[in-house]
Amino acid sequence: MELNKLFDEYYEKSYIQGGTTCCPGCGGPLFWRLALEVLGANTILYGDGPCAYCAIRNIKLPTFGIHFSFAADGATGIAAALRVKGRKDITLVSSAGDGATGDISFGKVSAAAERNENMIQICVDNEAYMNTGVQKSGLTPFGAWTTTTPLGKEAPKKEIPMILAQHKIPYVATASVAYPKDFQKKIIKAKGIEGFKYFHSVIPCPTGWRFDPAKSIEVIRLGVQTWAWPLYEIEGGILKLTMKPKRRPIEDYLKAQNRFRHLTDDQVKHIQAMTDQKRERLLQQDGKRIIF
Amino acid sequence: MDGNEAAAWGAKLSRAEVIPAYPITPQTELISQIAALISEGIMDAEYIKVEGEHTAMAAAIGASVAGARVFTASASQGIAFMEEALWMPPGRRLPIVMCMVNRAMAPIGGLRPDHNDALMQRDTGWIQLYCENSQEVIDTVIQSFKIGEDKRVCLPVAPCYDGYFVSATATPTTIPDQSEVDDFLPPYVHEMYNIMPGEHKPTGGSSDIAKARYEVEKAHERARGIIEEVDKEFGKRFGRCYDGLIEEYNCDGAEAVLVTMGSMTGTARDVIDEMRGKGKSIGLVKLKGFRPFPTEEFRKLGKKYNAIAVVDRNNSYGSAGGGIVSMEVARALYALDDRPLLVNFQVGLGGSDVTMRQIEYMAEETLEAVETGKVKSVVDWVELHDLGEVM
Ligand code: SF4
Repeated sequence: MELNKLFDEYYEKSYIQGGTTCCPGCGGPLFWRLALEVLGANTILYGDGPCAYCAIRNIKLPTFGIHFSFAADGATGIAAALRVKGRKDITLVSSAGDGATGDISFGKVSAAAERNENMIQICVDNEAYMNTGVQKSGLTPFGAWTTTTPLGKEAPKKEIPMILAQHKIPYVATASVAYPKDFQKKIIKAKGIEGFKYFHSVIPCPTGWRFDPAKSIEVIRLGVQTWAWPLYEIEGGILKLTMKPKRRPIEDYLKAQNRFRHLTDDQVKHIQAMTDQKRERLLQQDGKRIIF
Repeated sequence: MDGNEAAAWGAKLSRAEVIPAYPITPQTELISQIAALISEGIMDAEYIKVEGEHTAMAAAIGASVAGARVFTASASQGIAFMEEALWMPPGRRLPIVMCMVNRAMAPIGGLRPDHNDALMQRDTGWIQLYCENSQEVIDTVIQSFKIGEDKRVCLPVAPCYDGYFVSATATPTTIPDQSEVDDFLPPYVHEMYNIMPGEHKPTGGSSDIAKARYEVEKAHERARGIIEEVDKEFGKRFGRCYDGLIEEYNCDGAEAVLVTMGSMTGTARDVIDEMRGKGKSIGLVKLKGFRPFPTEEFRKLGKKYNAIAVVDRNNSYGSAGGGIVSMEVARALYALDDRPLLVNFQVGLGGSDVTMRQIEYMAEETLEAVETGKVKSVVDWVELHDLGEVM
C-alpha cells in the first residue's frame, strides 16, 4: 500500500505516466524518467525508433515522431520554427534508438551535427533492433547473438559518440541509467549549452540481451565497471572521464547475459584485449583535447 | 523572369518562414534564388541547407507542426527519395507548399521534364496544381498557401511545372505587390496539429484510422471548391485567374477537345487557334488540378463533346490503357450513360519536345475518331510515328 502511494505521488508530478508498454526491466522508461526530471515542462520531444518510442508514448509533454528513418531531421525543422517564433525558452530534444542513430538515420544525425542544430540529440541504445524482435544493428557489440547474427556479431560496435565529437559539436556525453546522478548532471549541462549536444546511453534490455529482468541495473552497471560502456563527456573538444572504475574482467559483464553465452574463450580474450586497449587509451587522453 | 525565379518570388511574397531545401536539377535555380533573396535582406526566412530530400521534407514537417509557414521544392529522383515523408503532411494536415519542378525519372529519361515524378505521388494526399508559365507559377505559389491553409482544407499543396520549358524559360511576369499579397494571404495560424508546450493536443488512436483517412478525402472534396474560390478572389485582386481546376480554351462549338497539362498547353493554344481558323472543330482543355481530380468537370465535358483526347506526358508501364491522366479521365467518364470517345496519346516522354506538328496530328486523329466513331488504338505513342515536317 505504502509503495503504491509512493508511486502515485511520483507519477502525479512526473512528466512520464506510471505504467508502460515496455517489457519488465526495460531501461527505456527509466531513461526517460531520469531525463524528464531534469529537462522540465518546457520541452518538446521529437523522435521515434520503436523501443525508445515505447517509453516516449507515455510522456505527458508534447512529442512528435515520424518513423525511425527520420532521426534529427524533423527536430531540425522544429528548431527553425522556434527561431522564427523567438522561443529560446524551449528545450528541444531529439531522440532515436541505436538502429536509427547508427544505421538508417546515421547521415541525418551527422548532418544535424554539422549544421550545429540547437537540440539535444539522444541515443537510447539497446544494442539491436529490439522492437522487430532482436536484429543486429551497427551498434550491436562484437560477438552478441541476435536473430540475424545467430553465431554472434562479426564486427565491433560503431563508436557513435566519438564520431559525432569529430563534427566539432559543443557537447558529447555517454551515460548509464545505473548512475543517475552522472546521467542527470550531463542532461542539465547539455540543456545549458547552445547548439548540437549529443547524449548517448546504453540501456538494459532483458528481452534482447537474455537475462532476468530483475537484474537490469546490475547488468548495466557491470557494463560501466568493466569498461564495456565507459562514461565520459567531451566538451569543447576536451575529453573528461566522469567515472574511472578499476579494471574488472569483461567476462563479468558477458557472463551476465545469455546473448554472449556461445562465446569461445578466444573470443572472450579478444573482447578483453579490445576493452583494455580502449580503457588505456581513454585514461591516457583524459583531460586532453582529442578533437582537432 | 523564369519559372524558378517566379516560384522563389512566390515564396517570398507569401512570407514563407522556413525553407528546408536540397538542390536537384532543374529546381536548383529556385533554391539559389531564395538563398540570394535572403542574403540580400529582401526575404526574411530560416533557410535550412539540408543533406538530402528525405530530410528536406522531414524538416518541413517539423517546422510546420511547430507552426511555421513552410516552403520547399524538389524534382524527379528527389521527390522519389522523399516519398516516405510525403505521406505525413496530408495525414497530419500540414499545409506545406512544395514546388515539383517536373523532370523524368531515371533510367530512361534524362534531365528534361515529364510528369511521372509528380504523378506517382498522386495517392499521398497532396494537392497538385500544374502550371503553364512563370506568371502562373508565381500566382499559384501564392494561391497554394491560401488553399492549403484554409481551415476547410489543411492539406499540403504542390505547384508543379515543367523543368526547363517553364523553370528556365523567361517570360514576361508581373510580380504582385507585397502589401496586396499580405492582404490576400494573412499570417498562418495552425490549428490542426500543435506541438508547442502548453498548447499541444494529443493525436487520436489507431482505432480511428478509417475515419482519419476519410477526413483527408473530405478535405480534398472541399478543396475543389476552395481552389476555385481562391482563384476567383485572386483574380479580383490581381486581375489574373486560371479558372480553377480546368480551363476550356477556344472550345465554343467544338466537337472534340484535347486535354493537356503543363508547358505543352502553350504550344497547344497556338495550334488549336490555327486549326479553328481553318474550320476544324477542336478545342483545348488545360488540366491544372490533378489532385483533387476534377471528376465532375470531366463529366460535364463528356456531355458536351463527342471525343475527349488526353495527352499524357507520362506513362504507366503495364497498364495497357494509356497514361495516368487518361486513366483518371476514363474513370470520371464511366459514370455517364452516354459516353464520349476517349482517345489516349503519350508524348513528350523524358522531356522531348511536344511539337506543333505532333499536336496537330493528335487533333486530326481525334477528329477522325469522331468522324468514324472509332478509336484506332487504346493508346497512341505519338513519338513512334514519323510525322514528317514540323508544322
Ligand atoms: S525489447 Fe528491450 S528495449 Fe524494447 S521494450 Fe523490451 S526490454 Fe525494452
